[in-house]
Amino acid sequence: MRSFLTLAFALSTALRLAAQDVGARLDGRVPPEVQRAVQDIAAGAAAHGLPTEPLVQKAIEGGAKRVPAERLIAAVRALAGRLADATDAVRAGGLTSPAAEVVEGGADGLSAGLTPGQVSDLVRVSRAPYDPALVLRVAATLAALGVPATQTVQLMEGMISAGRTPGDLLALPGDVQAGVVGGATPAQAAAGLARAAGGSPPGRTPGWVPPGQTNPHKPSPNPHKP
Amino acid sequence: MGVAGDATDSEVVRAVLGGEVERYAVLVHRYRDRYARYAARMLGSLDAGEDAVQDALVRAFDRLADCREPDKFAGWLFLILRNRCYAERRRRQREGRPLDERDDAVAAADRPDGTFEQTERMRALERSLTHLTPEQREVFVLKHIEGLAYDEIAGRTGATVASLKMRMHRAYDRLRDLMKEHL
Amino acid sequence: MSLGYHPLVKQLLDGELSLAELPLELRAEGAEALRLVGSVDRTPVVLSPALDDRVMAVVRRHAASRTRRAWHWVTAPRDVELRLRLRPVVWAAALAIAAGVALLLLARAPAVTPVPAAPVASGARDSVFVRFVLYAPGARHVALAGTFNQWDLNAAPLARAGSSGVWTTTLALPVGQHQYAFVVDGERWVADPAAPAIDDGFGRRNSMVAVTIRGARTL
Repeated sequence: MRSFLTLAFALSTALRLAAQDVGARLDGRVPPEVQRAVQDIAAGAAAHGLPTEPLVQKAIEGGAKRVPAERLIAAVRALAGRLADATDAVRAGGLTSPAAEVVEGGADGLSAGLTPGQVSDLVRVSRAPYDPALVLRVAATLAALGVPATQTVQLMEGMISAGRTPGDLLALPGDVQAGVVGGATPAQAAAGLARAAGGSPPGRTPGWVPPGQTNPHKPSPNPHKP
Repeated sequence: MGVAGDATDSEVVRAVLGGEVERYAVLVHRYRDRYARYAARMLGSLDAGEDAVQDALVRAFDRLADCREPDKFAGWLFLILRNRCYAERRRRQREGRPLDERDDAVAAADRPDGTFEQTERMRALERSLTHLTPEQREVFVLKHIEGLAYDEIAGRTGATVASLKMRMHRAYDRLRDLMKEHL
Repeated sequence: MSLGYHPLVKQLLDGELSLAELPLELRAEGAEALRLVGSVDRTPVVLSPALDDRVMAVVRRHAASRTRRAWHWVTAPRDVELRLRLRPVVWAAALAIAAGVALLLLARAPAVTPVPAAPVASGARDSVFVRFVLYAPGARHVALAGTFNQWDLNAAPLARAGSSGVWTTTLALPVGQHQYAFVVDGERWVADPAAPAIDDGFGRRNSMVAVTIRGARTL
C-alpha cells in the first residue's frame, strides 16, 4: 500500500512540477486565464502519456499572434485531441511506446488532412531504416502542399517499397513544389514522382517484405562477404 | 479573417504587396466580369475578351507595386485592360486578321420576346461596331453599352470630352451608313 | 455614302436632348437613330468560371519565380562570405528548389554565429543555416517568427536585399521540424508563399520547414 501511495504521490508531484514548468514558460506571453487553461490541458495530456511541448508551443504562438483567449484555448485543446488521436493511430500501426516526435508527426499528418487509418498505415510501413517520424513528417508536408491524402500515402509506400533512401523521401516535397511551379497540380506532380520512383503499385507485389525483415524466399546475404 | 468580400481593394492590394500572394484571388474574383463586356466588344469576340481580361489581371499583379493609389485599383486595372485591347487590335492588324465579325456568342441569343427583325438588327450592329476605329468603338461601347457619361469616360481614358464627342459623332455617322438596310 | 445624322439628332443620341425637343422635321430621323442605338446588346458578359484559377495559377508561378530569381541573386555573393567566416564547415549538397527556405551549410558547435539573431542553444551540436526570402515590395518592416524563436516578433528581422522588394535573413536552426511565418509591419502574419502551409489552428496558416543534417534537400 505504501509503495502505491509513494508512486501516486511521485506521479502527482511530477505532474505538478510539469504544470508549473508550463506555467512559467507561458508567463507574460499569454493572459492568466489562458495560462491556467493550458496548464490544465497539458496536465491532462501528460497524464495520458501525450507530449506536452507542442501544446506549450501552440499557446506561445497564439500569444504572439494576439489570438483572443477563447480561440487560443480552443486551439490548444484541439491540438491535444489530435495528439491523442495520433497516439492511438501510431499505436495501431505497431509502435507500442511511440516517441514524442512520432506522435507529433502523426498530429501534423492529421492536421494536414490524413486520416488516422492513413497515419497507422504509414507507421506500419516505416520499419528500419525508415524512421516513422520522418515518414510522417514528409507525408504531412506533401498533404500540406495539396497532394491528396490517398495519393500521399501511395507515394510514400511506393518510395519505401522501392527501397529509396530516407534522403529521397525528404526530397519529395521539394520535387512536388518544383512540379507545381512548372505548371502541374500537386496531384499531377506526385503522380509523376510515383512513376519515376518505380515503386510497387498499391497492393503490394507478392513476396514484398519491408526492408529489414527476412524474405523467406530469398537466400540470406552472406555476412562474410567483404 | 473574414469573408473575401469584406476587404477593400486597398486592403487587399496592401496584403498582396506584403507577401500574401493568395489574397490576389479576391481582386480577380471581384473584377473578372466587370470589364468583360467592354473587352469582348472591343475585340469582337468572347474568347478574345476573356484572354484580354486574364492577361490584364496577371499583368496587374506583376506591376502591383506600381499601383500608386491602391483604392483606385479598379481604374488602374481598366487602363491595363484597355492597353491590352488596343495592343491586341494592333497585333491583329499587323497579322492581317480583322476582328471576328460574326461571333454570335457576343450578341445575346435570340430573345424569346424579341422579333426576328430586332435580333437581326442587334447582330448587324455588333458586326458594324467592328468596322469602327478602336477609338470610336471604345467611346460607343463605354457610353451606350457600359452606360458611362462623357466626363466619366474622359476620366478613365484621359481623353477630353470634346474629342470624345467628336469621335462619337463620327461613329454615329458610320453606323448609320453600315446599318442602312436595317433601319 | 449616306448622309450622317443631323447635329441635333446626335445630341439626342448623346442624351442631351429629348425627342420632343427636336424640330418636327427631324423627329423621324431622331426615332431612327434611337432605334439604331437602342438595338445595342447590353447583356452583361460572364467569363468562364475557370478564369479565376487560370489567373491565380499564373500569378503563383510569377511570384515563385520572382522569389527564386531574387534568391539566386542574394545567394551568390553571400555564400562565400559565410563559408570563410565559419569553421569547420561542410557544404550541404543541393538546395531546395523554388522554396523560400534554403539549406546552406552544416556547422558544428558554432561558437560564433555570424547571424545576430540566431537562437541556437549554446552547445548545440548540430544546427543548420537556413535562408528565408520574402517578396514584399510594399512592406516597411518584415520579421520571421516561428517555433525556433518562440514566435518572438523581434528576434529575427529580415533585411531588404537591394531595391527589388525582396527581404531576406539567414538563421541557424536546430535539426528538426519547424513552423514559421513572416510578420509584415508588425501586425500582418504572412505564410511563406513558396513553402508548404499548414493550418495554425487560429484561422491562419503557418509554413513548414524540416531541417536535417544529412545534407539532403529539405523543405
